[in-house]
Amino acid sequence: MNIFLLIMAAALALPALAADPASLLAGYQAEARKADAAFAASARRGEHFFTATHGGEWSCASCHGNPPDGAGRHAKTGKTIAPLAPGADPQRFTDAARSEKWFGRNCKDVLGRVCTSAEKADVLAFLLKRRS
Amino acid sequence: MTLGTDMNKERILVWDLPTRLFHWLLAATFAGAWLTAESERWRDVHVALGYTFAGLIAFRLAWGFIGSRHARFSSFVTGPGPVKRYLASLLLFRPEHHVGHNPAGGWAVLALLGLGLATAASGYAVHAEFAGHWLEELHEGVAEAMLALVFVHIGAVVVSSLIHRENLARAMWTGFKRGSSADAIRRKRWVAAGALLALVAGIWTAALQGALR
Repeated sequence: MNIFLLIMAAALALPALAADPASLLAGYQAEARKADAAFAASARRGEHFFTATHGGEWSCASCHGNPPDGAGRHAKTGKTIAPLAPGADPQRFTDAARSEKWFGRNCKDVLGRVCTSAEKADVLAFLLKRRS
Repeated sequence: MTLGTDMNKERILVWDLPTRLFHWLLAATFAGAWLTAESERWRDVHVALGYTFAGLIAFRLAWGFIGSRHARFSSFVTGPGPVKRYLASLLLFRPEHHVGHNPAGGWAVLALLGLGLATAASGYAVHAEFAGHWLEELHEGVAEAMLALVFVHIGAVVVSSLIHRENLARAMWTGFKRGSSADAIRRKRWVAAGALLALVAGIWTAALQGALR
């Protein structure tokens, strides 16, 4: 195997980083099935998760609004946040690394911990059901 | 710039008050911004710290032209020749002594100010939403580069303090070093220090009133 082929393979794999919401959901669901083979993402569970405060001060909806296909408002700074639902903002959930980064930051703010793959799959299922 | 072999050394004022205030406020602001970076709960504090950080650097750039002797860029920014000579003198265990910043330290000061400006500017651009993901990455990248340089700076301060047998961190706190009276500055520059504090107080007043969004 020569190094040139390796580099070419890596370059070809790069576009895979650009994602779409449905494939991200499928990825999280597949991850969740490793722990629970019967897991299926649920928009209803996702909505409940999205609007619950989980024993803390904030819910996801505190900043992203509910329903999340309208603009949100930052709970601390009051700045407008673009709609989270991909149906309202097609830019949303099209970059896997970015989605992971912001799930990471925001889950810690709302839950005080990282979200599980099952929770992320549920939330994505809920967001994808919301069409503006 | 005198050599370290000078025997008649006394306690002399080297760093004026604005330079010292700037240094420790910048360090505290950078640490605070780092600690408030990860949570939206602290977003407004992080932004206020960012404005403070930018204000401090703007002050320091001006002070580099109108400040007292050892604070001026003209006294410590050199070409690559003196930097190479200084680093070589360290490797040969015959360190050149400089009352103010040594030539390598001078370059580090410029790099820290430059990275600090880039961090503040990119942070402003992220907050103002001039662009998306790549700006966030840029902001994080320059902040991380600045943190790395801060660690290099701290390491160099420790090493230089040991080699020259003088506590450089304490000198940046008190303003005093041991040296020849010819190298001393005469005044602490209280007025400019007051102006710097007023600038910081103004930024925080504006932030608390919600004017810096």
